[in-house]
Amino acid sequence: MGKPSDLVQGTLDLLILKTISLEPKHGWAIAKRIQQISKEVLQVQQGSLYPALHRLEQKAWIKAKWAESETGRKAKFYSLTTAGRAQLEKEAANWSRLSAAIDLVVETS
Amino acid sequence: MLWTQRLWLRLQTLFRGGRATQQLHEEVQFHIDQQIEENVAAGMSPEKARQAAMRTFGNVSLIQEDARGTWGWIWLEQFAQDLRFGARSLRRSPGFATIAILTLALGIGANTAIFSVVNGVLLRPLPYPDADRLAIIWSGLGSVNRAVASTYELFEIRQRTKEFDQIGGIWVTNGTLPGEGDPEQVKVGVVTSNFLSILCPRPAIGRFFEPQDEAPNAPWALVLSHGAWVRRFGSDPSIVGKSVRYGDGSAVVIGVLPEDFRFYLPGGFPSNVDVFYSVPVNGSEPGGPGWLHLVGHLRPGSNFTRAQAEADTIATQIHDWDGNRNINGLRLSVYPLQADDVREVRGTLLLLFGGVGFVFLIACANVANLLLARSTKRLRETTLRAALGASRGRIIRQLLTENLLLAVMGATAALGVGWIALRAILAARPPSLLNFSRLTPDLTVLDFTFLVGLVASAFFGLAPLFAAGRVNLTQNLKEGGRSTGAARNRWPGLLVSAEVALGFVLLAGTGLLMRTFINILRIDPGFRAENVLSFQISTPKYEMLHELQHRIGGLAGVQSVSAVSQLPLVEAANWYANYWKEGASEEEQHSVMADHRSILPGYFNTIRATLLRGRDFTESDDAAHQHVAIIDDALAQELWPNEEAIGKKLNVSDSPKGAYQFERDWAVVVGIVKHIQCHSLTVMVRPQIYLPYQLAPRPVSIVIHTAGVVPDLAASARAEVAVLNKEMAVSQVVPLTEYLARARSQSRFASLLAASLAGIALLLACIGIYGVLSYSVAQRTGEIGVRMAIGAERSDILRMILGQGLTSAALGLIAGFFLSLVLMPLLAGLLFDVTAADPVNYVLICALVLTVSGLAAFLPARHAVGIDPIVALRHE
Repeated sequence: MGKPSDLVQGTLDLLILKTISLEPKHGWAIAKRIQQISKEVLQVQQGSLYPALHRLEQKAWIKAKWAESETGRKAKFYSLTTAGRAQLEKEAANWSRLSAAIDLVVETS
Repeated sequence: MLWTQRLWLRLQTLFRGGRATQQLHEEVQFHIDQQIEENVAAGMSPEKARQAAMRTFGNVSLIQEDARGTWGWIWLEQFAQDLRFGARSLRRSPGFATIAILTLALGIGANTAIFSVVNGVLLRPLPYPDADRLAIIWSGLGSVNRAVASTYELFEIRQRTKEFDQIGGIWVTNGTLPGEGDPEQVKVGVVTSNFLSILCPRPAIGRFFEPQDEAPNAPWALVLSHGAWVRRFGSDPSIVGKSVRYGDGSAVVIGVLPEDFRFYLPGGFPSNVDVFYSVPVNGSEPGGPGWLHLVGHLRPGSNFTRAQAEADTIATQIHDWDGNRNINGLRLSVYPLQADDVREVRGTLLLLFGGVGFVFLIACANVANLLLARSTKRLRETTLRAALGASRGRIIRQLLTENLLLAVMGATAALGVGWIALRAILAARPPSLLNFSRLTPDLTVLDFTFLVGLVASAFFGLAPLFAAGRVNLTQNLKEGGRSTGAARNRWPGLLVSAEVALGFVLLAGTGLLMRTFINILRIDPGFRAENVLSFQISTPKYEMLHELQHRIGGLAGVQSVSAVSQLPLVEAANWYANYWKEGASEEEQHSVMADHRSILPGYFNTIRATLLRGRDFTESDDAAHQHVAIIDDALAQELWPNEEAIGKKLNVSDSPKGAYQFERDWAVVVGIVKHIQCHSLTVMVRPQIYLPYQLAPRPVSIVIHTAGVVPDLAASARAEVAVLNKEMAVSQVVPLTEYLARARSQSRFASLLAASLAGIALLLACIGIYGVLSYSVAQRTGEIGVRMAIGAERSDILRMILGQGLTSAALGLIAGFFLSLVLMPLLAGLLFDVTAADPVNYVLICALVLTVSGLAAFLPARHAVGIDPIVALRHE
């Protein structure tokens, strides 16, 4: 396995939305989760994660709530809003279309 | 709604900025602590775990900064930053800031003041219900337009109209207040029963007139103004239904008008009328005199065009008093009340509004030039910022913020300037604007000012954009900010030319208006107003008037005393009728109209009018002797063009049996007097005929000619009136010079305002020329130094700089000349005795503009000549 790939521009939003679609998570957990699921391929840079979280929150796609974490400390948990769920579906559909298209190109030539 | 949620989120972060930042910090700290725990769990020492966590996380404050950036208020922070920076840099160049703010304040302030007037007079609806459906209806006959209508005409119009649901009429005369107490002469409105309810939805107390008030056996009903009710009856709420003393008899007060009710009616109509009574309207007097100002209320769904078309038809249908024949040429004109009210000042105001727009453009051009010069001077700073990584948009935004700051400061200062200017305009306004007590800067005007300020900001915001767009890093850094590029820049010169062109147009217009005013000052009105005091009294008996003349004539310092039923140049109820000579055909009997005046002997001498031929009246020109008349040269010329008028017989309308009991009568012409301008200084409306007071008693004005100033003359004269009749009210104690000044005030107003605007324009254009040249000299210091070092004479340098300034001025002058040729004809209606294309005017203005621009260019040129080549080159 080579150097972990940088995230494709603009896909971070999709990953965050997807990651918290099942249950609310705090920032650290989101980064961890993305890393695990992608089998360490996707490394989320903290430098992009927090600005992205705050941007999504400002767009009212996700909402935040301070709650106790598994270690008993107060942490900021993010969860999807209704608008965010719609956005997730839209972006996921876009992604499938895009990756299928790229597959086509890569495999044909 | 998603956007409302977003707005809410943003507002929350804005107002809880401190807490949000704290939470962001905690959130990041939590992340780092989690990482440390994980690292420790993986077997690191706590210290190492901490370091590793920090390393993985990266630059904590940068990440926090980026996260805060997404909150959407970063632009606000930057804006505040830009504002602070802008304020600092304006403070560093106080000269520039002061000139720019003053220029804007003058430009926008003048706009605010004129707009306040335009808004108050032309745009704001009159304070009447359905103001946009109220019409004024004028009657016209022969050469007479805009005349009052007779009750017969009103009756006939009412019978036929389908476009109006109400038509009422009013005539205002002088009278005294009802009730006990000292006599007070006031305006009395004689109205049709529906008139007040057309203009006023409901009385403050009581009711308005109803048809039953006009029944033969009904008591005389009065409606009072709020002022009269307060002054005379101490705001007694039970006044309604009470019987009060009025004139020689008694009357019943039926209602009181609301406090804020005012008249805004055309034709010098007084805004305050204190007492009203109603008269019936019927068709019983077909030949009756015209006296009613008609106001109509359009039926819903009708409009002024249809009403005018209907009025044209009705005019041809109305029969004259002969019963069978159409009155030849009777016309009825329907105008919107609002537009007609301000007819006289409308043209002046719109032109001033246009002129003030020019001033505003000049101010903008000036500020644009100042900013252009400044941004070029700051090229190095801008370049440095760009080199350090500022994006072009960021630089432009910073410049725009600075301009906005300037515009807001300018607009604020402009409010002050505008307020002062409005005070000045109100102080100088002509009587046609006197009714408009509601001229105050209001919210609309405030909005307008700031809108103008923002437009200005956007307009001259363009200037630095041109400069910023040309930022070329390496080139500019190499030249070290002493760019010679500016010398090749055409913009400043062109802007100055545009300023000169606009200023030229304003000066040309002002020149014409001032010439008009001077011509009006030179007009001989047919009398001399100096040292003549006048006051009004209501209709006295001849014996009393004669005695009064004698008594006042005996006061110290009084040279002569007389009386006239209407003073020249005073807007009041005017009397005029048809006159014809012996043997005139029926058509001729209806073709000549003249104003008639009742006078006492000595009137012409007292006001220094010129008796051309014949004699003045004497005490024995009464009903018992041959009835006589004096006519003016205009009437003599019209009736007896090539004959001597004296001794000829003239058919007049007099009232030898008492006031208002008119009858046609033959009088012999005994004197010819030079025409006196009665209605306006510039237009001869009608010729005049004078009758002895004994033959036509009316309310009169006493005129007193004194040798110089006589202290307490008014009080002494009042005392003499009181001795003879203590119930007779004296009003309108006014020197004749005042009436003359009022007649000139419209022209004075227009030329004064135009001159102020043109003065501002010229000043701004000078600042423009001076500023551009000074800047250019500063830029070219090195070049001038080189030129002098290699042998250029001082005169060469002087010529070079002067030439640069005068070229711009000359270009502007030519453009302004052609622009004026197109625009000046718009002024034609306001001019008197001077044509719009007057060559003298153009020559004078060209000379003025060239001289002034030469002066403005001379100062920087002299500065250039004073440059020491050694210093200049060392500086380079």
